[in-house]
Amino acid sequence: MKRFRDKRTGILSFMDLKSHKGIAVYWLMFAILALMALICFLPPLWVIISSFKSPEELMKVPASLLPEKFDFNKVIDTWNKLGYLRYYWNTAVLAAGSVFFAVMVNGLAGYVLSCLKPKGSHLVLSLIIWTMLMPNTLSMVPLFKNMVDLPLIHISLINTFWPMWICAGAGAFNTLLFKNSFDSIPESLIEAAKLDGCSNLRIFTRIVLPLSIPIIMVVCIFTVNGAWGDFLLPYLVLTEPDKFTVMVHVFTAKTVMALDVQLLSLVFAIMPPIVLFFVFQRYIIAGATMGGVKE
Amino acid sequence: MNRKIAAALKRDLTSWILLGPAVVCFAVVLWQPLISGLTLSFFETKGYDAVRFVGFKNYESIVSNSEFAAALKNTFSYTSWSLVIGYFVPLITAIILNEMVHLKAFFKFACYFPTIIPSMATALLWYFMFNPGKNGVLNSLLGFAGLPASQWLQNQKLVIPLIVLTMTWRSFGGTMLIYLASLQSINQDIYEAASIDGAGFLAKIRNITLPHIAGTAGLMLIMQIIGVFQIFQEPMAMTGGGPNNASLSIMLSSYYYAFRYFDAGKSMAAGAIAFAILAILTIAYRLASARIGRGGGIA
Repeated sequence: MKRFRDKRTGILSFMDLKSHKGIAVYWLMFAILALMALICFLPPLWVIISSFKSPEELMKVPASLLPEKFDFNKVIDTWNKLGYLRYYWNTAVLAAGSVFFAVMVNGLAGYVLSCLKPKGSHLVLSLIIWTMLMPNTLSMVPLFKNMVDLPLIHISLINTFWPMWICAGAGAFNTLLFKNSFDSIPESLIEAAKLDGCSNLRIFTRIVLPLSIPIIMVVCIFTVNGAWGDFLLPYLVLTEPDKFTVMVHVFTAKTVMALDVQLLSLVFAIMPPIVLFFVFQRYIIAGATMGGVKE
Repeated sequence: MNRKIAAALKRDLTSWILLGPAVVCFAVVLWQPLISGLTLSFFETKGYDAVRFVGFKNYESIVSNSEFAAALKNTFSYTSWSLVIGYFVPLITAIILNEMVHLKAFFKFACYFPTIIPSMATALLWYFMFNPGKNGVLNSLLGFAGLPASQWLQNQKLVIPLIVLTMTWRSFGGTMLIYLASLQSINQDIYEAASIDGAGFLAKIRNITLPHIAGTAGLMLIMQIIGVFQIFQEPMAMTGGGPNNASLSIMLSSYYYAFRYFDAGKSMAAGAIAFAILAILTIAYRLASARIGRGGGIA
């Protein structure tokens, strides 16, 4: 038990772990965590496995553990029949635009608030901080109204992805994340670029952004994941079925389709985020704690 | 001198141009809707447009409506259940996880895994788990244990705790990681000194761990209350507010007023009531944490 001897962190010290009682407490805690890991993994796994079952098999009492056969043709058939490529494509376009808005609009805002600080910008900063603290219970109808008839220019954004993109541009949390990150860029670097005649925008794209790759990665990953799972606004503004995103389709498919098709739809909806998580788990777990630094 | 002012103006002008897109986005999505929503709540509406100022009539009408009364009561019920079921899970998991010398990274991964599944998909996933038929997966498990099948979400008494359970399943991992970051910042010498003084496991938790993370715990408490109070998508997907309005929340009721009954004024009145309750709560928390002097949070 070398690991116990080397344990230098936490409440149980290597001293405690020499006694039987300490070791028992440790393995009890380990068992609790193992159980929690099971609870975290099993429900999605069950949906993935069950989606292979036939409608008759899904009706069986009690529910069978594994399907009679893993028929991948059925998966491909359902994919084609429901036209999932379309929904994946729509959601990908939505996500790509959201990433662009999150990085460019919020990134620029963070840059102005952190490095340029024009007169009066502190007012914008405190407004953004207040926005983040405010509950968001009053915006449903007015936001929808703004998207049907954009103020001042009076165009309708219904059945376009612009409403979600604009929302991505209004990310208070991302703006503050960028601002805090840019605060650590040495001022001398920016001054030097200015002396060389670099414009503000060029300083942003050539100096500030390249120096902030890790934070941009985190914002990108969380924006893609958020856009993939975004439901309410897409559901309200995308009314034509060929504009549906994956999540809107899954919700509207509920109750009107056979149970096995519903389950497969759900699997199609959750697979991309799961793959994203497996690939970028380091960034995602590191980024998750940035949520704790909300002020 | 003049040139200096001109240069400063030019500098500020380009800065403001770069800030412009963000200001426009915030205005369209958050600032204008907030004011416009509050205004609408005092108007009789047609479609989504204000027609006539009616004072507090929308408020009077929804407060005297039994459906909204149920929604208000349910929302408090959601919030209190979420504190009973969900508040201590991330805290305890973080304390336990911080002790692990085996599989620590795996457990972190596992606990955060549900969080990356979209909230709407999570709601539907558990909707399938809570299938009230005998062929449902949880009912089959109950069957193996020799217990009678449950109605799950169709049981008026169970529906709110079950929806809270779903939300806890999805979100505890994120909160847990925040606690974990806070736990890792505890100076290890303090634990060692306590061990030498003969403090046991529970004594160390009570006297060292808990005081250290109290600020984070307070912040998480208020964030959870604010979050759960606005619950809406989960009951919308899982029960539609039923059975018999037993899971209807304020925000779901606001959504139904707006997009099912097309009464924007009443919808916004419901939103304004939720807003007022949460604003009072937030301010009270700020005052309390300022008095205690922690400033609330680990920032």
